[in-house]
Amino acid sequence: MNSDRAKTGIAELDKMLRGGFMRGDTVLLAGSAGTGKTTLALQFLVSGATEFGEYGIFVTFEQMPDQIYRDALNFGWDLRKLEQDRKLRLICTSPDLITGEGASALLDSPTREMNASRIVIDSISHLQMFLPDKGMRLEAYRLVNYFKTKGLTTLLTSESHEISGGSLTITGTGISFLVDCIMLLRHVEIESSMKKAITVLKMRGSDHDKQLREFEITSQGIRLASPFSQYEGIITGSPRRMASERFIELFSKAGGKAK
Amino acid sequence: MIGLPERIIETLLASQTKGELLILFHKNPGLIDTLEGIARRIGKTAKSIEQDVNDFVKLDILNTKPVGGQEAIFLNLERDREIQTSILSYVKERRAR
Repeated sequence: MNSDRAKTGIAELDKMLRGGFMRGDTVLLAGSAGTGKTTLALQFLVSGATEFGEYGIFVTFEQMPDQIYRDALNFGWDLRKLEQDRKLRLICTSPDLITGEGASALLDSPTREMNASRIVIDSISHLQMFLPDKGMRLEAYRLVNYFKTKGLTTLLTSESHEISGGSLTITGTGISFLVDCIMLLRHVEIESSMKKAITVLKMRGSDHDKQLREFEITSQGIRLASPFSQYEGIITGSPRRMASERFIELFSKAGGKAK
Repeated sequence: MIGLPERIIETLLASQTKGELLILFHKNPGLIDTLEGIARRIGKTAKSIEQDVNDFVKLDILNTKPVGGQEAIFLNLERDREIQTSILSYVKERRAR
């Protein structure tokens, strides 16, 4: 077991991360709406609580807890039970309450009471609605340092605007420089169907898998599939089969005709 | 010390907003927000829910605390349970009469 790693509980993702996130790191989970950011973040907390004895706090600005409880049940995660067992805490608040001294006033006590080691902020993009760009970067810097001081492994979800296309902006306010790890989730259109892709763009102080992997949201949560090894240009939103693959395909077809 | 159950029931049922606030906090016990934030979550304005929130604060069903220079409002779970028990026994008693 790698004790310096906080496992996500998604076996293939942990392999990509060489054992899990670095403990105490801040991870930015970026992706457009519907890519599975909240599901992945919840799975990180649920796995921590149920498989690894690491308890966590989920801070939501957008979704109401009753909706989160309901959606989580579809994956077999009973968040209410985890809360009763003091293994998880759901806090629903407005972003302006977590700025300034707010983080400490809101989070010190549950972190201490539960001996929490994981936290999710869903989403950091919501903070941007309340703060100007410069203020946002300062607040994000302060928040990241607050979580680090508490020794929390942190997942910040961030909404990027693209659905599928060429432009790719992780965040508009330079938060990507503040975090230790960046994971990108995005929709890709391949052969007329929408698929989901995940990749680790940055992981400070650690090797990681650089491949782009397909993933699905199943009834048990996130499941990673094989890498998109036969395609290029997926991140830019224009996937095409690699030249070598096209060559092999043409060669096979020609071979078939010759028989 | 819990007041008379009749008085509590009267306060709880005094307005539609109170009912909406109770449902909101019961469904989402982890909610801690500003008056403005709470109002937004039930599609109302801070001004329109202020009185109802204050009534709940007086009853100790909702508590407040300063968070980041603002006043955060949250459900007092213990007091809420006490009140529910008190009302339940009051209703049972009334039925038995």
